[in-house]
Amino acid sequence: MGKLTIGCFPGLVGNMSYDFALKLAEAAKDKGHDVDVWFSGNATGSIAAGQKHLKDYSTAEQHLTRLMEKGVKFCTCEACSVARGVKKDSSIEGVIWNAMHWYLGSIHGADRVLQIGGE
Amino acid sequence: MKLGVFVSDFELTNDTLDRVGPDGVILVANGVYHASLKTDGKASPLLSKYSSLYVLSEDLETRGIDAATVDSKVKVVDYSGLVDVIFNEFEKIAWL
Amino acid sequence: MGDVSCAFVVQKPQYKGETSRLAITHAISYQTVEILLDDGDTVTPTLNFIGEGVLGLSQSQKAMENYGITSTENHMMNCCLVDLEVNVCKEDLEKYGIDPATLPDAEEMGADVSINVVPMADIKAKIDAARHVLIF
Repeated sequence: MGKLTIGCFPGLVGNMSYDFALKLAEAAKDKGHDVDVWFSGNATGSIAAGQKHLKDYSTAEQHLTRLMEKGVKFCTCEACSVARGVKKDSSIEGVIWNAMHWYLGSIHGADRVLQIGGE
Repeated sequence: MKLGVFVSDFELTNDTLDRVGPDGVILVANGVYHASLKTDGKASPLLSKYSSLYVLSEDLETRGIDAATVDSKVKVVDYSGLVDVIFNEFEKIAWL
Repeated sequence: MGDVSCAFVVQKPQYKGETSRLAITHAISYQTVEILLDDGDTVTPTLNFIGEGVLGLSQSQKAMENYGITSTENHMMNCCLVDLEVNVCKEDLEKYGIDPATLPDAEEMGADVSINVVPMADIKAKIDAARHVLIF
């Protein structure tokens, strides 16, 4: 088995590329691969806790929590998060907070890297 | 090293895909239209440019596209199959 | 494991979207990744601008004055100061009528490297040689 690192930059609501990133992460984990996901840019807004899961909106909290229980590692860019008003003590528990070099560190040990851009 | 590029849009507004020169293309999100839609009666030029082509079944279904209409050159895979494609068919992957 | 090479490829212009700028800042972070790795392990990026990605790289930018954000000009100079290899597509600069002399330069600040204007074929070679490709 190998390791997949996903760089996820698009926002949670308004861009289904984010949803794709999570579904790919889950599929890879279910097949026995290690998976790291790095959130930067607008994706960092998705780690705010207390999300309301409305029917027509992409949601992350339940999915992220489930994926972390499966062993997927999520790390958010601290600068991007705080710039968006996301506070550590009110963010989804278990998400790592670090700087951009965390992504490169994850890339170093990865067999496959998928950078999914924002906007 | 074999490079697989995810194509997530239908209208390709620039030539980055050509310039990067992948060994194969994986059609996801709105990119799945390349697998079955014909424009002015013609299939997507991607289908003749790349010999290694995959399309994500969940994104076809989301858009109501019948997998039976997918061009025979394109292999239909689900997310689980996509993971195998990523790890077994390519050494590196990128997203457009 | 040693060194892992990455080709960062920027194909969108600066400023309207954030992703093009994040490509630069992420590439620059290679300078500090060693604190997370085993001794001797490194990540070596090249930062490559193609297509519309060559737009917004010039000198005399007023991003800080007008929007309160660090300009791409400053980010590009920082790239030179941390010895990051930056390649800008020659054909695309010519296509858009951009004079390579307008690209930022950090020599006066003590940078040992400058931004390279290279043919697309050279950038393609970087993409082919890299262990991983990240397109922004």
